[in-house]
Amino acid sequence: MASAPLLDREFLEKLERLTIHWQKSFAGLVGGHNMSRFAGAGQEFLDHRNFHHGDDLRAVNWRAFLRLEKLFLKMFQVEPRVPVRMLLDMSDSMMAYGGQKFDYARKLAASLCYVGLVRLDSIEVHGFSSRLSPRIFSTGGRHRFPGVMDSLKALTAAGATDYLSMVREFIGTYSHRGLVIIISDFLDDNGCERALQYLSDFGHELMLVQVWADEDRTPPWTGELELRDAETGAGLKLDFDDAARERYTRAFDEYCSIIQTLAMRSGGRYAGVASSQTLESVIFGDLVRVKGIA
Amino acid sequence: MYFLNLSLLQFLAVFGSLSAISVAIYLLDRSRRKQIVSTLRFWVAAEQPAVAARRKHIQQPWSLILQLLSMALLLLAIAQLRLGTPARAGRDHVIILETSAWMAARSGKTTLMELARDRARRYLHALPSRDRVMLVRADAMATPATAFEPDRRKVETAIQSSEPGATALNLDQALAFARHVQSQEGGRAGEIAFVGSGRTIERDPENAAATPRNLRVLLVSDPVENAGLRKIGMRRSATDPDLWEIYISTHNYGTRPRDVTLAIDFGPPGANGRIPAGSQHLTLPAGADKEASFEYRTSSAGILRVNLTPHDAFPADDYAELELPAQPMLPVTVYSNEPELLRPVLSATPRVAAVYRKPAEYKAGDKGLVILDRFIPPQPPTADSIWIDPPAKGSPIPVRTVVENEAFQGWDAGHPASAGLRTKDFKLERTSVFDPAPTDGRIGEVMQGPVIVSRPGKPKIVVLGFHPVLSGMRYELATPLLFANLLRWISPEIFRRWEVAGGSVGTVKLVMDQDVAEKDVKVTTQDGSPLPFTIHDRALNFFSGTPGSVRVAAGDREYLYSLTLPQLWDAKWEPPADAQKTIPKFPPVFESASDLWPWLAVAGAAGLLAEWILFGRFRRIAGISRPVLLRRKATVPLEVRR
Repeated sequence: MASAPLLDREFLEKLERLTIHWQKSFAGLVGGHNMSRFAGAGQEFLDHRNFHHGDDLRAVNWRAFLRLEKLFLKMFQVEPRVPVRMLLDMSDSMMAYGGQKFDYARKLAASLCYVGLVRLDSIEVHGFSSRLSPRIFSTGGRHRFPGVMDSLKALTAAGATDYLSMVREFIGTYSHRGLVIIISDFLDDNGCERALQYLSDFGHELMLVQVWADEDRTPPWTGELELRDAETGAGLKLDFDDAARERYTRAFDEYCSIIQTLAMRSGGRYAGVASSQTLESVIFGDLVRVKGIA
Repeated sequence: MYFLNLSLLQFLAVFGSLSAISVAIYLLDRSRRKQIVSTLRFWVAAEQPAVAARRKHIQQPWSLILQLLSMALLLLAIAQLRLGTPARAGRDHVIILETSAWMAARSGKTTLMELARDRARRYLHALPSRDRVMLVRADAMATPATAFEPDRRKVETAIQSSEPGATALNLDQALAFARHVQSQEGGRAGEIAFVGSGRTIERDPENAAATPRNLRVLLVSDPVENAGLRKIGMRRSATDPDLWEIYISTHNYGTRPRDVTLAIDFGPPGANGRIPAGSQHLTLPAGADKEASFEYRTSSAGILRVNLTPHDAFPADDYAELELPAQPMLPVTVYSNEPELLRPVLSATPRVAAVYRKPAEYKAGDKGLVILDRFIPPQPPTADSIWIDPPAKGSPIPVRTVVENEAFQGWDAGHPASAGLRTKDFKLERTSVFDPAPTDGRIGEVMQGPVIVSRPGKPKIVVLGFHPVLSGMRYELATPLLFANLLRWISPEIFRRWEVAGGSVGTVKLVMDQDVAEKDVKVTTQDGSPLPFTIHDRALNFFSGTPGSVRVAAGDREYLYSLTLPQLWDAKWEPPADAQKTIPKFPPVFESASDLWPWLAVAGAAGLLAEWILFGRFRRIAGISRPVLLRRKATVPLEVRR
């Protein structure tokens, strides 16, 4: 039996009017709005070369063929565009409380990929925990979306988060600066602030989408608790009451503020979403409000 | 409504114990909620010191209630809760069928066993169909042949296959066993029906169990006149080892005196080649014992048969066989140039067959015992050996020195070869003093060291530093005794004393000699397997439930029991006057009680399964415990955080 798709058709139709936005101007790159990969106006003729087996027949200079009876291929200068990359948290902490955060993050990633595909943007998606997972390349128009959705659906969460090593690997892999969308709970025992700052200082524009479960922000339990960290396995025994819950929520909110401040300070965007929110309210509400999409 | 297997008190006790354990486990294990969380960093910030005297709370009360309910249902199934009244339910009866040896006696054209089987079957058919029946075969031990069976065919098959045993009836034990199984079963106790002749072993009035009130006695008439062998004892004569003294005890179990002929014969196993060994005519008084004695001379092994004629209705105790062991001889080869010196001391022992040879005729492969008189052979003998005054070069035990005119100091009282030796002061004109190993025995010594040394092991070696007949010891009484002791130490089996007894199977009691240590006692069956025994006040007791031979080795004595006679009764049991004595006629009962236990068991198992699925450990570890799911709707709006 085929499993249900991440996103239904009705919701996808609603996404078609949206566009991913970025604010920075990157040196040598076209920015500020979306550019089509196949638009003729933006591509300038560069040169001819001999036709080789497998080349696109649409680029053959038929006039030259009629005249010289030889196949020549027209070469165009492609305008460099702002690369959009998405990092999806696949650590064990995303699987806590039944994996609701991970499911939610995958749906959110799929939605953004569809927005990009509709506008013929190319988005490179990586899962990560302590290292980057293989790339999922979302490009080529909306008809490529089922493949992207299947790839996202096939992702499984495992491992502990290590933002610092992940960011080092990312910067080592991609030298061109661009928009980096990170969908994560940003719960790293070693702290993710330094790694995110490192990414920002390198010149990337950050769009941070923090996903949390309701239990992450307001634990519903009281009494004697024996807690275990989903990633490290570390344990903690404590008594938990309403006052402790208030302290907990306060500490959580303070941490979210730090992440938000870090994003805003470097000219990026931040959105914090609870997994209990509907995807539609997040896309058309939170992300539009922070001007991540329009 | 009632329980078939447990009483209400037992049910409450078991359920109370299980509930206490379950609640304790909950308090110890589940009082602290286990939860997997995304991170511990915010919890550390919220942490507060634990209250030391905090009371334990049960976090999952519904889980506990479900478990307790499921356990109660399962326990009710085990207790076999039934609807209806116990009075209308079936009862559990026990049939005690006597299978003692006496049941093989013939009464007219049939045996007592066949009569008893017939009565047991008739009683079985008279019982209501709902009742369950257990068959217990009773002789010296009560043995259940079936469990409490509702299936009559199984019980009837067990009755049909019951055969007379070899022991007498132990009625008290059988009745106690029947009462015990009825009380253990937990159902409604029915009758205890005894079927048999009622002839039992002697009952101790103080220890005899009280007669059960639900006893029914179906006695089999046994007007059988019987006389038989009771006990047979044999031993070798103290003066003549080839002469067997035979004592036979007979008993007349009947009510009239009987003239019988007691005959014995001897020969190999089987009917051929047997030699009559004696016979006596006896008149056996009614209800009394009579003894007879015989003598028979033989040194060979064989089977002695005792036959009591004319035979009667119980021929099993008219005939007995006893296995007689052979009288072994010890072959001794003496190598000496002066054999006449040793001939007197060796001929004093009747179980020794001595051969005298010159040293030049020495052969290393001689069997038995080799005596070397002042002679070193080219090869040491492979058999046990006694070396008399060996030359220093070649002695099996090194010679330390040679002394002359040395006074003999004494004997080692702890060595078996020195047992009973006493000597006046005498001097040895010339003797070798040996340098023994730590494990060697120092039988006799002078001041400088041992002059008679024994070396245990295989083969055994004894070395004398002087010739007893050519030294100052030649006039001592200890000289032949020393040789006799040495022969006994080297070959104890030759000098073992045998006693042969014939008797009936069952408990055997043997009073042992004073000098026998308990650790030296061994009791084995004819196939060599050990038989359990007890020793109390020098009396050895063991039990043999099947006919056969039993050997008892106790020091230098060996007792051979041929337990081939059947064990017969001592007294006739008189059943109490108020006991039922006929085949009963039970009123028909209504099939009103019904079994609930299958449904209870299914419900209990389903409850435990549901508890496991809803509250089981795997669910708690996965972090989607029930309470969390119930509280999920209480979400916090984003605006609150901002």
